[in-house]
Amino acid sequence: MLRLSMEKKRDKTVTKQIYFQGAFKMLRPHYLDNSGQACYFLINPGGGYVDGDRYRMEITLEEQAELILTTQSATKVYRTPHTPVLQENEIVLKKGSVLEYIPDPLIAYRNAKYKQNTIIRMESGATLFYSDILTPGWSPDGEWFKYDLLQLKNEIYLDGKLVLFDHLKLQPIEAGVDGIGYMEGYTHLGSIIVISEKVNEDVLQGLYNVIEKDLGACKAGLSLLTESGFTVRILAHSTQKVEELIVACSTFLRKEWYDRHPVTLRKY
Amino acid sequence: MDNYLLPLFQLCDSNLPTGAFSHSFGLETYIQENKVHDKDSFSEWLRMYVLGQLICTDGLACRLAYEALEQSDAQTIWALDRKITVQALPRETREGTHKIGYRMLTIGNDLYPSPLLSLYKEKTVNGEAFGHPAIVFTIIAHQLNVPLNVILSTYLYSSISSLTQNAVRGIPLGQTSGQFILRDIQQWITKAVEQIRTMDIADFGAVAPGLEISQMKHERVLIRIFMS
Repeated sequence: MLRLSMEKKRDKTVTKQIYFQGAFKMLRPHYLDNSGQACYFLINPGGGYVDGDRYRMEITLEEQAELILTTQSATKVYRTPHTPVLQENEIVLKKGSVLEYIPDPLIAYRNAKYKQNTIIRMESGATLFYSDILTPGWSPDGEWFKYDLLQLKNEIYLDGKLVLFDHLKLQPIEAGVDGIGYMEGYTHLGSIIVISEKVNEDVLQGLYNVIEKDLGACKAGLSLLTESGFTVRILAHSTQKVEELIVACSTFLRKEWYDRHPVTLRKY
Repeated sequence: MDNYLLPLFQLCDSNLPTGAFSHSFGLETYIQENKVHDKDSFSEWLRMYVLGQLICTDGLACRLAYEALEQSDAQTIWALDRKITVQALPRETREGTHKIGYRMLTIGNDLYPSPLLSLYKEKTVNGEAFGHPAIVFTIIAHQLNVPLNVILSTYLYSSISSLTQNAVRGIPLGQTSGQFILRDIQQWITKAVEQIRTMDIADFGAVAPGLEISQMKHERVLIRIFMS
């Protein structure tokens, strides 16, 4: 269980409330540049996630608060013979707030079962940049793809109205996952969700022009939502490739919208 | 003869002017990349489309709409209309489905009018609902007292039949090949109906990622004969 709320004081986003118990922790906030935007690192349970683990994260950004939320390292899900690991996230973004959520990959090992439900409630004028990377762990026999289930759902509400329902369910054990339509021979899956009043066809085209040349070794699509947002889905052969594209999108939007420098998260 | 049989033929007929012939739902991307190029590769694609997308979206939506109609629960219908629409992340697929849904709603409301259809249409015109073909079809069929398993198999058949006709034009395939595909897919429709009936509703909206990306990529396919 982890609960964090942030608020804007003068030109700086500061911690209003922080609470955590159990293995899911946070470091002190950092300030990566002089914009006043805070940056928190989540620390995953040291031994990774195992059978029946349940975690809940609640993040609230008050009006105008700006936060980068990331992880200190990859999230590892190990063998889960009985009850899937359940991660629940609830995020509230008030008017004018900005959340950039850029976690390290989720690595699912042999027989891992992992479910994640994320609900994000936004007020109009808030901005969200959300990304995730799903990767298979290496099995002892040197092969990918031995996890049982990765199921991630995202629901995003804008002023109380559902504007996005994203449901990924990967079960590589089941036949046909490599086949047409499913993973198509790729191993890594990345997603980006951007919600902002500033999103329109021109922004998407501008972004596409920037990343087009990098799409060679992967399969990626970009598309507008019904209102104020877009999604990107990426299939690739490595974590690095997905990360590169996420960084390229984040860099493009930070420059376009806030004239800010790229986020450089020095973790290692 | 069941008295719903003939109206059901009419609703599933490709002559029903819904515009379904303009949409490939990502198939055209695969055709242009030469991944779907003949009868066998199209059959494999079609099975994936049914099992990797249709059953967890439109198929399950038919069942949920039917269950809501049995309870006279209109609120669930409106929530489902929004959820299944925003679940489609690829814009062309979402907008194409919306166009087909709206036309089916308009024709359905003219041919088989009911207060619920007329309210659905009004909400769609006012921007309070989107209009989804699976929900519209289920409402009309429910009015005609069509049982759920018949609704599911006819809805799936009608979607598949439109796509197969589009594949015949787009790949292209011979007309006879198209008919063989429609015969062979019937066993998969039967399996799909069984899966939809017993599926956990938590599986709603799960879609095959490669297909989803191809549906997004279609926006940037330069020469095209389909709108999605």
